[in-house]
Amino acid sequence: MKNGHAKLDYNDFVKEDRVHGRMYTDSDVYQEELDKIFHRGWVYVGHANEIPNPGDFRATTIGTQSIIMVRDESGQVQLLMNRCTHRANAVCQVERGNTKMFRCAYHGWTFRNNGDLQGVTYHDRYGEWFRKEDFGLRKVPRMGMYRGFVFGSLSPVGITLDEHLGQPVKEQLDLFIDLSPEGELDVTAGIHKYGYRANWKFQIENSMDGYHPNFVHQTFFTNIQHRTGAKLTGLFASSSNNLTRDLGNGHVMLDYRPYNRENSRRVQELLPTRPGGKEYLDAMVARHGEKHAEEILTAGGTHMLIFPNLVLIGVHIRVIRPVTVDQTEVFLYPTLLKGVPAAVNAARLRGHESFYGPAGGGATDDLEMFERNQIGLSARVDPWLVLARGFQQERLDVDGTVVGQVTDELTQRSIWRQWKKVMSQDGDTAARRGKPRQLTAAAGGRG
Amino acid sequence: MAVDRHHIENFLYREARLMDENAYDDWLALWADEALYWVPANDDDIDPQRHVSIVYEDKTRLEDRIARLKSGAAYAQDPKSRLRRVIANIEIEEGDNGEVTVYSNFNLTELRRSQQRTFAGRTIHKLRPHDASFQITYKKVLLVNNDEVISNMTFLI
Repeated sequence: MKNGHAKLDYNDFVKEDRVHGRMYTDSDVYQEELDKIFHRGWVYVGHANEIPNPGDFRATTIGTQSIIMVRDESGQVQLLMNRCTHRANAVCQVERGNTKMFRCAYHGWTFRNNGDLQGVTYHDRYGEWFRKEDFGLRKVPRMGMYRGFVFGSLSPVGITLDEHLGQPVKEQLDLFIDLSPEGELDVTAGIHKYGYRANWKFQIENSMDGYHPNFVHQTFFTNIQHRTGAKLTGLFASSSNNLTRDLGNGHVMLDYRPYNRENSRRVQELLPTRPGGKEYLDAMVARHGEKHAEEILTAGGTHMLIFPNLVLIGVHIRVIRPVTVDQTEVFLYPTLLKGVPAAVNAARLRGHESFYGPAGGGATDDLEMFERNQIGLSARVDPWLVLARGFQQERLDVDGTVVGQVTDELTQRSIWRQWKKVMSQDGDTAARRGKPRQLTAAAGGRG
Repeated sequence: MAVDRHHIENFLYREARLMDENAYDDWLALWADEALYWVPANDDDIDPQRHVSIVYEDKTRLEDRIARLKSGAAYAQDPKSRLRRVIANIEIEEGDNGEVTVYSNFNLTELRRSQQRTFAGRTIHKLRPHDASFQITYKKVLLVNNDEVISNMTFLI
């Protein structure tokens, strides 16, 4: 590693039932996370529905690298590096928009929205060696998609997206998407963007933590009980039959289906009483048949982490963006459902806003916990964080996934197991960064 | 009846002071029952029925927000934000029955956990005469940074 630090053996820092605080505070560890987790493996980039029309684009990041997700003139989604192939000027300055081409303002080079180099100013001074086809915007080496969810990998080699996700994850994605009677999400409803001063892993661990809600979010549950009489704290009690579930490859979930199944009659009775609810229910039954529609509505989506940076909770797609070792940004994209009455989608937004966003009544308390965590980590007499809850009681479910009780730290243990596996891989990323391009040698230039 | 500009300014200044001092109940009491409190996300003009907002609340939701802040368990306000804001550039439009639409700008400084931040924006109030003062029927806050990353904004704006 750089700066002459000896390479850490992560077996010394990540045990089965605890993790060393340095994993959240060490800048070198963070750089290695960027290299190995974010700039090599599969990372969620965006949803194809964010860019429905040719020319639509979104500027975003993979890890800390600036990229453009764009739909080209032929309708294909492209992931382009936001960097002019001439002298590295960013070619896209805004977060979203529609364009036929990206123009580098520095020396006027233009690129089609599929990345191809279109025009070079004063082309005559380059000579015959210069071929436009060699200087298109660089593409993210690998792109994969599952039902509109777009993932990228900055490594040209590695397991396929299909292998990375696996069947249990795809089943959960289906449950989230198939809440739409057309089987399609509308991801053009805007973004909640918030940040916090702590390590990125606190957000993914906490997203999958079924132990904290009754404590951190008691104000939220109290308000619901006050308004509706419903006592939701039972979902997250140690007596709850809800589950933590390891879906493989660091992907984990909180599984509320045991509680929801017990209360499914309530769902079936309540839905038609809500604005647009009857029409929605009818559309679901028409699409899926009564039994499967009931299964989907009872599951009510999912509550899942797709390692390392994508979370699906409630109605939203959550993307975790590491900024520095102790600074993180989180983008929440509330989704609408295609093929439902407008009132159903408006209710999704209002429900989301009550808990999430920078002024919401739930997630903001989580952010406060993360910042308190980062302060706590400075006290290092005993540097360990304990993840032992339910460690002895994990069991294999019939579908081959491993489950625990909803308040168990099975989900955190599974995240860290994957983290250690990826971080312990060969650290030689230099070869992946590419050799210097040979440009003018063939034409006899000075090189 | 001619609009009394001084009267309206006093109302806005009082509201600002109550927000600055986290005087939750007194602030809530300024609102009419058919209230709408709206802070758009990502842009100033969005369709709230199909685009997410930072805040989009009726009176019930507003009451829930205040109940939460008062509970002692709203950790995002523990410790509380220290706040002071300046209200300026006030423009008034007269409506029917003494109702007014008031446009103003604000500049707000927040201090929490030794970190000082600035927020700025434009507020549109719709006010209805009530007793000797006004009630807020509608308030829309256009944050300058509504499309940027915002950490914890659980104080009143």
